Amino acid sequence: MAQSSLDVLLKGSSGKSTRGLLRIIILLTIAAAAVASRLFSVIRFESIIHEFDPWFNFRATKYLVQNGFYSFWDWFDDRTWHPLGRVTGGTLYPGLMVTSGVIYHILRLLTIPVDIRNVCVLLAPGFSGLTALAMYLLTREMSHSPSAGLLAAAFMGITPGYISRSVAGSYDNEAIAIFLLVFTFFLWIKAVKNGSIMWGALTALFYGYMVSAWGGYVFITNLIPLHVFVLLCMGRYSSRLYISYTTWYALGTLGSMQIPFVGFLPIRNSDHMSALGVFGLIQLVAFAEFVRAYLPGKQFQKLLTSMVLLTFGLGFTGLILLSVSGVIAPWSGRFYSLWDTGYAKIHIPIIASVSEHQPTAWPAFFFDLNFLIWLFPAGVFMCFQNLKDEHVFVIIYAVLSSYFAGVMVRLMLTLTPIVCVAAALALSTIFDSFLVMTKPTPESKEKANADKSKAFSSTKKPVVGIYSYFSKAIVTGSLTIYLLMFVAHCTWVTSNAYSSPSVVLASRLPDGSQHIIDDYREAYYWLRQNTEDNAKIMSWWDYGYQIGGMADRPTLVDNNTWNNTHIATVGKAMSSREEVSYPILRQHDVDYVLVVFGGLLGYSGDDLNKFLWMVRIAEGIWPDEIKERDFFTARGEYRVDEEATPTMKNSLMYKMSYYNYNSLFPAGQAVDRVRGVKLPAESPTLNTLEEAFTSENWIIRIFKVKDLDNFGRDHSNAVSFDKGLKRKRATKKKGPRVLRTE
Amino acid sequence: MRFFTATVLGLLTSSLAAATNLTSPSRLALPADFKPQQVFKNTNLVRNTNLEKGYVRETINVVVENIDKQAQSDYYIPFPSDVFERVGGFEVRDKKATDKGRFVVDATEVVSASGNQYFIVHLPEPLAPKSQITLGISYSVLNSLSPRPATIGQSDKQYLHYAFSAYVPSAYQTITQKTKVKFPSTDVPDYTTTSDLKSGADPERKGATFTYGPYDTAKVVPGTEYPIAVRYEFTNPVVTVHLLERDLEVSHWGGNLATEDRYWLRNNGSELTGQFSRVDWTFANYQRAPTSAVREITYPLKPGSVDPYFIDDIGNVSTSRYRPGNGKTAGNLELKPRYPIFGGWNYSFKVGWNNDLAAFLRETAKPDSWVLKVPFIQGPKASEGVQYERVVVRVVLPEGAHNVRFQTAEGSSSNGLPGANQIHASLSSFKTFMDTLGRTTLTLEVDGLTDEARDAELIVTYDYTLMDALRKPLTLFGGLLSVFIALWAISNIDVSIKKR
Repeated sequence: MAQSSLDVLLKGSSGKSTRGLLRIIILLTIAAAAVASRLFSVIRFESIIHEFDPWFNFRATKYLVQNGFYSFWDWFDDRTWHPLGRVTGGTLYPGLMVTSGVIYHILRLLTIPVDIRNVCVLLAPGFSGLTALAMYLLTREMSHSPSAGLLAAAFMGITPGYISRSVAGSYDNEAIAIFLLVFTFFLWIKAVKNGSIMWGALTALFYGYMVSAWGGYVFITNLIPLHVFVLLCMGRYSSRLYISYTTWYALGTLGSMQIPFVGFLPIRNSDHMSALGVFGLIQLVAFAEFVRAYLPGKQFQKLLTSMVLLTFGLGFTGLILLSVSGVIAPWSGRFYSLWDTGYAKIHIPIIASVSEHQPTAWPAFFFDLNFLIWLFPAGVFMCFQNLKDEHVFVIIYAVLSSYFAGVMVRLMLTLTPIVCVAAALALSTIFDSFLVMTKPTPESKEKANADKSKAFSSTKKPVVGIYSYFSKAIVTGSLTIYLLMFVAHCTWVTSNAYSSPSVVLASRLPDGSQHIIDDYREAYYWLRQNTEDNAKIMSWWDYGYQIGGMADRPTLVDNNTWNNTHIATVGKAMSSREEVSYPILRQHDVDYVLVVFGGLLGYSGDDLNKFLWMVRIAEGIWPDEIKERDFFTARGEYRVDEEATPTMKNSLMYKMSYYNYNSLFPAGQAVDRVRGVKLPAESPTLNTLEEAFTSENWIIRIFKVKDLDNFGRDHSNAVSFDKGLKRKRATKKKGPRVLRTE
Repeated sequence: MRFFTATVLGLLTSSLAAATNLTSPSRLALPADFKPQQVFKNTNLVRNTNLEKGYVRETINVVVENIDKQAQSDYYIPFPSDVFERVGGFEVRDKKATDKGRFVVDATEVVSASGNQYFIVHLPEPLAPKSQITLGISYSVLNSLSPRPATIGQSDKQYLHYAFSAYVPSAYQTITQKTKVKFPSTDVPDYTTTSDLKSGADPERKGATFTYGPYDTAKVVPGTEYPIAVRYEFTNPVVTVHLLERDLEVSHWGGNLATEDRYWLRNNGSELTGQFSRVDWTFANYQRAPTSAVREITYPLKPGSVDPYFIDDIGNVSTSRYRPGNGKTAGNLELKPRYPIFGGWNYSFKVGWNNDLAAFLRETAKPDSWVLKVPFIQGPKASEGVQYERVVVRVVLPEGAHNVRFQTAEGSSSNGLPGANQIHASLSSFKTFMDTLGRTTLTLEVDGLTDEARDAELIVTYDYTLMDALRKPLTLFGGLLSVFIALWAISNIDVSIKKR
């Protein structure tokens, strides 16, 4: 400020526009940084869709682009869940696909030749840039400090907690949902502040978009009513609140019901009842307020309050009764598992088998949020100091999402935005106090006191100023270091933890050059090119979407997991003896069975390591036939070597994994590099399946299901005949020989 | 959008096609009982059948004499109609004056009585009575080799079976003829030995070359067949490109020639008896044993080719390597398919790269007229040969290019392409990168090529003026200007309901 030459630019009305311009430039730079930091995988590998679920979204988007919106809406997919099929159009959140479809068509209209794959790959980074902007808007509503919004935008742009779900190629619902979440909250705050129908309607509009995009919309459905409820309880009812809430609820609920997958859930499902309840409550409160305006009196108010509580209680019991009687759908399993982390493991193993549904490990908070995690409580505390309606929202959001993030790893994603807001509030306060050259003057003291007098008396305190340059330098210096470390940490985490497509694996050769292990696509492409168009592929459900997307072949089960019994059937086929499995395979028209085997390469995410989940899920349906205990040795170990239990050794999964594996090694020296054990000297024999394809590093093994034997023998006899073995006597009868009469 | 493109395209084609030499091959219809008139006599005929590659390459040298009283100019060459469709790169020259170029050849429809289809060779000058001319006929026959046995083990030798007639099919009487068959190796376990056609051993074996004949066939009726079958070792893949789509995109602004080749490839060799065994393949690969599977594809590129890519339907194929040539020498793109392609297996992929346009394009003496010289196909280079069932070459010229003509470069020997009148050519419009009019696109379709056409050059001439080049910048400028004006106009409209 000492430079007078800059005064023209920084003061007065031109100063205002200078700052505005500067802010726009900063925001655009933040958005660019947010996009750029998500491109590691594109640069390192290629523009490719990552992991599992994105492959389905990509396939659905291609279908949408090729066949148009209406046939997408009515899409019945007979290439998954064979032989059941899936009513895909009615069981997905179409927001993501429609968004990229619209972008694609706009670009095509401008005759820019863009591939739909590239639109899909780059959608998440693009929207993360928008999220940073939305974050700026949201935080600006919380604080007067101009730096808070910018800091929050910067944090949101690069924090790993959000990057984990939005790197290029991670084409999942969360890619656009987090932007919608933040923006809906911004609109809501705006609506509450202004009491404007326009903002309320906009909130509802974006809420509807959010509903179409992600199942996590329930978070908004519950958070906004909770905010209103808390405000009501704090005695902060206002016509602003009434207008914004009723507008949002009426329009938003109608909007959300337009999505076939959601349908009538908003009025029938327990998850949505709090919004309805608060809607009723706010009518009562509004009525009471209206009456009170005409009939003041303490007695009346007490009566009214008790009336309100009574009605609420009645409504609540009615709700419980309706739930019990079944009119309102009971809480879903995923909901219960939010409150009891052990629930899923016992009752619904299929939910527990997904790694992202596990409770969060504590270091994950630091890993994903770095220094924001300890600024977070400070920011929440500052909201208490300045407790306006919007700050109540921040506090509620912070408390709820902290809990959820602790329960389930993937919900770290909903925690991240509020952490960024709170941390930015805290940090901007620190910077606003420490990063000024001028010392506090008595004048400003008075002014500050005047400001404070409006706030709560409990938060009133003498004004504090920083006089020493030394302490200013120390604090700002250390915070700058923290910020720099934050950037370094984010870059490191993004680069190392979140940028692997997981379809393609990278390793380093001894000379330091990158070697790409591309077994998945090798095998999928083989299936795509060299099997019949409707050959049914059976694999564990993890690979269902990838097979559908890359191999373009029908699958039995996929990551949609809507039918637990069907998955358990596959689990049973994998974990039973061949004699049991073969009829199951035949009944389901299976042509090929695909297993993932990491033993040669030391790739730990293979099917044998997931095997126990298959057993558990199958056991849930057939407790008499499949028993988890049988797969453990007497000492309770899960082993695959010589000591493995007979059930284990005879299971189809074990046989397929190790079939013919020992011939790669000198006799008796076959080693499984994942489990680090020496394998039995003899290869398992397969009678009903034959090896059809094995990828270069053995990660994917595909087996063809044999047809029935031409001579009507059973397969084990046929195989031993082909090998030239003597036919086994069917049964050794101990009694005397008798003439067969029949 | 599509409809719009279609309309523009329709308008454009009609306006542009007028000034070009575009043809679509037509086949002459012949009467149902047509038989060529016996106006010629083949005095001497030598057929060389080359079986070294995955397709059959035949060159026939024949001395033709006019036995009619009038000068004759149309020489008929018959093929059974199922073979006719598989004949590629058909070319006839005067053997004594090969540098005079190829003769014009027409194809005919099936003659229902005989089941034959004919190539009609139009001699440039009618052959006077009693005079002779030596014709050099060359062509290749695709998909005429069948693996026997049809299924083999993964590391077994592969054998191919080829059947032909000892008497070369001809519409005319042939006095003497012989056939030389060249095999890839001396391992020929089965072959027909004739007993009554000539004295002495037939065929005569000399290394990998078998000679059937010479036969004295003056009394044999034209069209008589004497079936011969040979079976020989060919432990190489029979690489068949079911369809090749090749795009050449010319950009004057960028000074760039972008090429993309899309292949739908198949191995027509013996299929596997059982299933694929990775263990066996690993060991065989380690020993570099000969195999009937496609292990690697070498793809030579022109000098100065940059940014090559090798992708398929599901993304980049990481197992490829580009060895760029230094300056003048050609670069090599070494492609390794995702999996070895055994008999009966398919593989489809795309490769593409960029070149500096200056090496391929120059302005002619006439201003605003340009001539582009590019390889017709480039394709993999392999000793076992590659056959292309169908090739579609698309040359995308800059927006506004007109007066498009094409020709293929002719040398003194066959370039592997059929005559220009057998190439189906059409003009269309292709909209990309904010084109308003669409880019003029020349599409050439040819059936039945072999990798001999790798040396063939395509020459395209077209007119392209400065105004054509400036169209896009001006359009963009105008478009943005109108957007800004519209925005300014909208921002000036007062829609508030408040009173000010």
